[in-house]
Amino acid sequence: MVETIDLEKGLQAFRARLGEADAAHLNACVHCGLCAQSCHYYRMDPQLENVPARKLDLVAQVFRRHFTVLGRLGLQGAALDDAMAKAWLDAVYGRCSLCGRCSLNCTVGINLPRVFKAARAALTAMGLAPADLQATVDNSLRHGNNMAITREDWVETVDWLQDELRAETGDPLAEMPMDRHGAKILFTVNPREPKFFPLSLQASAKVFWAAGEDWTLASEGWDLTNYGLFNCNDKEAGTITQSLVDAMERLGCETLVIGECGHGFASARWEGPEWLQAAYPFKVRSFLEVMDEYLEQGRIRVDPGMNTKAVTLHDPCNLVRHGGVTEPQRRILAKTVSCFREMTPNRAENFCCGGGGGQLAMGAYKERRMRSGGMKAQQIRDSGAKVVVAPCHNCIDQLSELNKEYKLNVQIKTVAEMVADALVTEPPTGEP
Amino acid sequence: MNPALPAGLWCGLLLGAQLLRARALGRRPLFAPAAGDPAAGVRYAFTGAMLPWAKESVRLNPGSYAAGIAYHLGIAAAFALVFVPSRALAALALLGALAGCSLLAKRIVMPHLRGLSNADDFVSNALATAFAGIAAAGPATSRILPWACAALLVYIPLGKIRHCAFFFLSRYHLGAFFGRRGTFPPAAQERLHG
Ligand code: SF4
Ligand code: SF4
Ligand code: SF4
Repeated sequence: MVETIDLEKGLQAFRARLGEADAAHLNACVHCGLCAQSCHYYRMDPQLENVPARKLDLVAQVFRRHFTVLGRLGLQGAALDDAMAKAWLDAVYGRCSLCGRCSLNCTVGINLPRVFKAARAALTAMGLAPADLQATVDNSLRHGNNMAITREDWVETVDWLQDELRAETGDPLAEMPMDRHGAKILFTVNPREPKFFPLSLQASAKVFWAAGEDWTLASEGWDLTNYGLFNCNDKEAGTITQSLVDAMERLGCETLVIGECGHGFASARWEGPEWLQAAYPFKVRSFLEVMDEYLEQGRIRVDPGMNTKAVTLHDPCNLVRHGGVTEPQRRILAKTVSCFREMTPNRAENFCCGGGGGQLAMGAYKERRMRSGGMKAQQIRDSGAKVVVAPCHNCIDQLSELNKEYKLNVQIKTVAEMVADALVTEPPTGEP
Repeated sequence: MNPALPAGLWCGLLLGAQLLRARALGRRPLFAPAAGDPAAGVRYAFTGAMLPWAKESVRLNPGSYAAGIAYHLGIAAAFALVFVPSRALAALALLGALAGCSLLAKRIVMPHLRGLSNADDFVSNALATAFAGIAAAGPATSRILPWACAALLVYIPLGKIRHCAFFFLSRYHLGAFFGRRGTFPPAAQERLHG
């Protein structure tokens, strides 16, 4: 914690976020406590600080003191001071993945993550956002991607993957095009793919190849992640979004396709235009919707006999509950695997893996993250599946850690990997 | 004059002012194209989403849900009893008062609820429960009923019972948000992304 906190700055940032909806949400809690069990933090560690309403209360108290008549008269609420700022930090950064499960379960219908984001914005404005999370945002602003991968490394990795793709498909003309002007689709990826999971990027490329798609990657503006969604600095978030918009304009593509990443999809599809205060002149789609369409239209063919292990599906909160993309991945898996088992609960009612809200980038809360992830570990164990499919690289990271910690002994894969494994392709007709 | 009338005026004016203040904070124009229908989301938020089986929080706590419904019905009946005596309404008010007592007991007994509670939670419960109880005990209590009603009405805008107005605004915004994104109503997920 820094020595002096500019509380006024925090209040201004908080105020800038407040609209009618926020005032409604901050005025409506009845302290019934029924949201407690909807939160994976509380389920795995039933202490008061983990009750969503408790976290909400801290934000509501400040709202009441500073932004209502009774509060200004000192009759209600509590002031934002150093102690309250610390309490906010612990509650909205340290004990919340902004998954929104509590809002679906709230008796009244309070959108809790919405007000938690206002509190996060205030903390960030006061310089209190966790340093490692802020560093991720800074990387994006400085290097164009959150892992500071250089342009050379990115281009080289894609080049190498293209060779691998040609070897795998036996098609010497198989391509992972870079900066192809006028391509129909610009495909964006999570930097974790070139860095740690190149096979998942290769799998996506194989699907595009099989569909004969007119697509491209971009040498700049290729990172779909946006941690501005988590530090809640809208200006920074907007700047990061702008680099995707710039890439689309530079390459003249028709559709921006977001690879498998929950928060990346929510950022680009839902929040980006709000950060930029302008509608995009292009369409944004999830890669899941695109693959679903390929299968539907018969542009690719798959054999579920290629994926015989029992498979379950994790629903990333930002893609499903907050993104509205729920069924394409299910339709895809229904065609590509022979044994599919839903987790309970699923779809919009899913539990967060524990890694959302930027938790994976905040080292200080690792122990809580792993503990809260126990809820997801239990769901996976109960499903009896041997493969967990997660259309979100953030979730995959967290699930991989949970796999070790809770000895789940499962494989974790993206949807594209499952599709690529099941692809039925014609024998290549080109040169060997 | 029935003291409930000026108290009702006070309550209405203050709640109205609070709602207007919230309104004055404004709504931002949205630029991302909708995937679903916000109006359908709002409709679902006020109907299907409130059914007992639609929420895990209710499925896990059916007793609290039932008590909550009984409590609210009982309070509504008590308001009616201020103006119209009726045995059926009195029975409902009694049920409401008992539900209020059970919710108070739950608040005291359950550690996370106790921790969450502040003076407002107890005052709100005490006023509403007493009001329902007094209404149920009529005609023996008919002289103090208007005063119990007035006390409750005066308190409503000052504490958490203001949710009687903000409930609607909050649920409306939640419904519009999830409706726009295609999450509400649940069946829309299949249709919109199909
Ligand atoms: S948004 Fe998710 S993590 Fe945060 S309080 Fe609600 S349920 Fe818990
Ligand atoms: S369920 Fe909603 S109203 Fe009840 S305590 Fe939780 S946030 Fe408040
Ligand atoms: S990490 Fe995955 S499960 Fe968790 S909030 Fe993000 S998208 Fe949701």
